[in-house]
Amino acid sequence: MEDLHLDVAAGAFVSVVGPSGCGKSTVLNLAAGLIEPSEGSVEVFGEPLRGLNRRAAYMFQQDALLPWETVLGNVTLGLRIRGIGAQQADQQAGEWIRRMGLADFADAYPAQLSGGMRKRVAVAQSWIVNPDILLMDEPFSALDVHTRLRMENELLDLWTASPKTVLFVTHDLEEALALSDEVVLLSAGPASRVVNRYAVDLPRPRALIDIRADPRFGELSREIWAQLREEVLTSYARKS
Amino acid sequence: MPGKADAVPHPRVPMAVWQIALGAALLTTWQQLVNAGKLDKFFFSRPTDIAARVMEWFRTGSIWPHLGVTIEEATLAFTLGAASGVLLGFGLARAPRLDALLDPYIRLMNALPRVVLAPIFLLWFGLGIWSKVALGVTVVFFIVFFNTHQGVREVDPVIVNNVRMLGASDWQLVRHVFIPSALTWVFSSLHISIGFAMIAVVVSEYLGASRGVGYLISQAEGTFDTTGVFAGMAVLSVVVLLVGWGVTHLERWLLRWKV
Repeated sequence: MEDLHLDVAAGAFVSVVGPSGCGKSTVLNLAAGLIEPSEGSVEVFGEPLRGLNRRAAYMFQQDALLPWETVLGNVTLGLRIRGIGAQQADQQAGEWIRRMGLADFADAYPAQLSGGMRKRVAVAQSWIVNPDILLMDEPFSALDVHTRLRMENELLDLWTASPKTVLFVTHDLEEALALSDEVVLLSAGPASRVVNRYAVDLPRPRALIDIRADPRFGELSREIWAQLREEVLTSYARKS
Repeated sequence: MPGKADAVPHPRVPMAVWQIALGAALLTTWQQLVNAGKLDKFFFSRPTDIAARVMEWFRTGSIWPHLGVTIEEATLAFTLGAASGVLLGFGLARAPRLDALLDPYIRLMNALPRVVLAPIFLLWFGLGIWSKVALGVTVVFFIVFFNTHQGVREVDPVIVNNVRMLGASDWQLVRHVFIPSALTWVFSSLHISIGFAMIAVVVSEYLGASRGVGYLISQAEGTFDTTGVFAGMAVLSVVVLLVGWGVTHLERWLLRWKV
């Protein structure tokens, strides 16, 4: 991508949408400090980012749990890395595991859990370290529709309870609209740029199960889709 | 896991019964052929004679020193070979330039049929246990080395990035991700490496020793005592089977997270 400029307000829930291959994940990796921009810079709360972004947690699209650790071991990992004692870490993790509805599975290994449960473990794993920024890369794309809706609801509840800056990448425009304060549309790759930004003025708290019936939701969806459609078609044309 | 065991319908006669029946039939045939003079007793011995010999060994206790030394050698060979394999496999996987430099030499050494080393180890380390341990180490080392190497290099990059984003230092990354991942590969090669350690020490004992099951077999062979050779083989097979059974359980416990 080139000439990409994107600023995110602190405490805002911002989604990035765009055709596949437009570099949505690259935006997150730049913000995380996992890759460095070849030109330009990344700033976090006004300070230039060097190395990894220590104020951010990252939820990956793929399964990123440690398969040889139990649910408890995975959730406590961030705390143990920070040198917090086992007892205190276990106690804090226990609360998160209960909140995620996994109390009976604390000693289970990831391979014994369903996809939705693994995602909940991943949420607890990244939120327990209380990051200021949460980077999410299509975290729910592998889930079935109902589990996904449930996870989106849980995510919004968590975010409402302790507002963090969220940068949420998705290919699903409706998911982006339902969750975010703002939707950022990227153009088709390779030289992708920000096409437009849309403020989502739907009232909060939102009932995700009904939000798709909201007339304003429909208006925004049609408005953004009109442009997203162009980018998707361009992306097709370049690939074939 | 529920359901898995039910995949095969319960037969009326358990498979174990059939397995024992097959073994009994083969042994009976062998016994009858020798008794009828179709097989020469001098070359083929008889199952009843072999069983009597094995019983005698255990009754008098004369087998224990031999069995003990073979197991001791195999254990030492496995421990030393696995430890050096893990260390070097880990070190080289994390140091790509050194890895590339040594790669052809490691392949060259691994390509060498290990049996030819046995005489040279006898010269270097004498008739005692260390020449046997040395041969066992050369076998176990390469199995564990290649598995560790693979384990470190095939760590899922997403897991590495996740743990880095959770704030891990380089050492914490090694401790929480690379070591467990490498051990996974080592554990899943336990069967092969322990089995090969056994084979290597017995071959080495056979070529020159003063004790051990391999020595027992070679002594019997030297006096044309076929019954002694078969009895040694029988004891060895049962020991290897028992060890394998133990390893299966150990592996299941160590890799319990794989489900």
